[in-house]
Amino acid sequence: MVASAPFDNWWHNAYGLDVTILSPPHVVLMSGSVAIDIATLILIGGVMNRSQGRLRAKLRRLFLYVGGIFVMHACFFVSEHTGKEMLHSATAYLIVSLAAPVVLVGVARASEHPWGHTAIATIYTAGVLAQLWILPLFPAQPKLGPVYQNVTHFIPMAFPLLLVVPALGLDLLWRAASAWRAWWQATSAGIVFLVCFVFVQWRFASFLISPPSRNRIFGTHYFAYSDTAGFMYDPYQFQALESTRAQFWIVMTVALVIAILSIRLASIWSDSLKQIQR
Amino acid sequence: MRISSLLIVLLLLGAAPAHAHVGSPDVFYEGDAGPYHLVVTVRMPKVIPGLAQVEIRSQSSEVREIQMTIRRLSGFGYSLHAIPDLAQRSTEDPHFWVASLWVMETYDLVVRIEVDGPWGKAEVGVPLPAFAQSTLRMQRSLGVLLFCCMLFLTIGVVSIVAASIREGGLPPGVAPTRNDFRRARIATFAASVLLLVVIGLGNAWWGVAANDSQSQTWASNSPRALPTLQPDGRLLLRVQGQGDFWAKYIKPETENFLPDHGHVMHLFLLRLPYMDRMYHLHPRRIEGGSFAENLPTLPAGKYQIFADIVDSDGMPWTATGQIELPNISGAPLSEDDSQASGSPLTSTKDDATVAQLRDGGRLIWERDSSPLRANVPMSFRFRIEDRNGKAAKDLEPYMGMAGHAAFVRSDSSVFAHVHPAGSVSMAALQLAQASLPPVPARVNGLLSGKQASAHAGMRMPMDASSAEISFPYGFPKAGLYRIFVQVKRSGCVETGVFDAHVQ
Repeated sequence: MVASAPFDNWWHNAYGLDVTILSPPHVVLMSGSVAIDIATLILIGGVMNRSQGRLRAKLRRLFLYVGGIFVMHACFFVSEHTGKEMLHSATAYLIVSLAAPVVLVGVARASEHPWGHTAIATIYTAGVLAQLWILPLFPAQPKLGPVYQNVTHFIPMAFPLLLVVPALGLDLLWRAASAWRAWWQATSAGIVFLVCFVFVQWRFASFLISPPSRNRIFGTHYFAYSDTAGFMYDPYQFQALESTRAQFWIVMTVALVIAILSIRLASIWSDSLKQIQR
Repeated sequence: MRISSLLIVLLLLGAAPAHAHVGSPDVFYEGDAGPYHLVVTVRMPKVIPGLAQVEIRSQSSEVREIQMTIRRLSGFGYSLHAIPDLAQRSTEDPHFWVASLWVMETYDLVVRIEVDGPWGKAEVGVPLPAFAQSTLRMQRSLGVLLFCCMLFLTIGVVSIVAASIREGGLPPGVAPTRNDFRRARIATFAASVLLLVVIGLGNAWWGVAANDSQSQTWASNSPRALPTLQPDGRLLLRVQGQGDFWAKYIKPETENFLPDHGHVMHLFLLRLPYMDRMYHLHPRRIEGGSFAENLPTLPAGKYQIFADIVDSDGMPWTATGQIELPNISGAPLSEDDSQASGSPLTSTKDDATVAQLRDGGRLIWERDSSPLRANVPMSFRFRIEDRNGKAAKDLEPYMGMAGHAAFVRSDSSVFAHVHPAGSVSMAALQLAQASLPPVPARVNGLLSGKQASAHAGMRMPMDASSAEISFPYGFPKAGLYRIFVQVKRSGCVETGVFDAHVQ
């Protein structure tokens, strides 16, 4: 994280201020943030794996909480590509498959909590909802121009992704699949994750595009001052990121493969976390 | 309604041709914010988003506060604004104010300057054609530092992975076995390969981002002038855009370029290499979107082309090119077209400060003996004398303004078409002033209400009693420059040619 500071500062002088979440210096910073998340999990995991009883239960709750924060970080990093208007495109689901399952499944299985996936996704959802509902209570004004939106308060991030539904599906699946072979587990979990997520998020995206969602609960009427929504694009219309139906299904298939592979990777990672003793 | 229409017509009549530039990104403006006369210099950032420095010289020392915001010049985004940035008054000079302003976007912007003083608040809009100038290479020292950081972090990650595989699963105090070491070596190798792949992908991404930034620079987007000489002596000029903006937004064939004084293009032809001939012509638009001009009589040679145009959003562009021309026996100059001759421009020449005019009069550059320096905003003042050495009384507006000046570097890397109102595009200036609120009347009743608003930022096109003109400008870099200053006297355009060594 420290190394990203001079890199980012040089970037501003060389190419201009990178007003985006994903840029090379920001990814260096995010790598530091991810390293802290992983290190925290390892530290808690080492003690948790050696403890018993109430202490273990307490540490497991802490472990799951850090997992929720980790999922929050992961979803924040990719949030520019998972906006509501993109959620009828396969690309958005591919990006979520890259970011979320590896953390969600890895931490949940390492915790050995019967509702680990659901707990982590709930913490993520609660965190994002908290900022969505609290930040707009504070007045704010843009300090840089041009200004395209009349902003009078802090602008929060968008409504959380409905990861809690596929997380619940994964917990239920795990009850039956705990004895299966690793690749079967990964394949079935990847399918459950993507199918559940697409099923609920696709429908929910239709709601987020509609007028009833433009309120303080769902927050789809919030736009950053620099957002050209309403001028350059219609924020209440889905963007087709794939140009043909065939392309859509190819990307969706890739999303499924990535979900399976990342869950397999998460299983290996969770096994390592479970074995940590020091 | 009629008064408003009349004011708009007056505004159009008083406007000058569009400014555009090559290699001269800073913006210079002289004009009025209601009752307050200002000289504004905006030092544009090299990259965008980047920090611009705004320097304002107020004629009145009684100005209490100056604040400013950046907006879009036209279209959406022009009506809302951020919290204004306050300019700081110089402790040494009460007339001088400075501010830093973030330029967050490329293309047609305007800085709205609000002045508060004894005559109330008043605003002026100064158009900013915003483009990144260049991208930077990394300094070696910083590169070494960051490489060392990368190496340290990479080794750290690999070591942590190896340690966790080797002994992470062992209870405290238990020594790892040979098998643990073997697994750790495999993990070290795998982690190293993975990190190398990640670093390689990151480096490729960096390259893509750098190319993308380069594609946003002025050099990557400035249009080219493609000339063709017809057998009948007619010069056809096609504007060929390049870069993202032209590809996405501006189609030269169909773009509705904004005319200034009825001229959609202001074409400067300079004979190379000595710039001893200059032609200021005004080609007309023809079918297909090209521009055509019946060339006047001119000698053979290679000519540098600077063609000023303004797109429909008020963004000024200068299309550049070159053409080899034979001796042409053409039509006499007509309407606003003009030409000038000068001695060859060479580095051994001394700076010229006096230009002889055709009727025996003189155009005198009133400058002191101090050397000219790059990046220093100046007021270039010129006095026009008649053949008797007295202030010329026969000056007329030339295309609506007291004068025009073209600053050209000897290698053609700098070209700026400047007017007494500065280097800003007058077409853009009209757009910038259009949305200004009415300003309060000055106590002596010089300006009031909508009249003041309509004239905000505009100088009187011509002061018949004055035989002096001035141009706010600053040389962008050192070198040898030729300055062509054009005025109109008794119906004839006179051009003074001056040379300047800039340090």
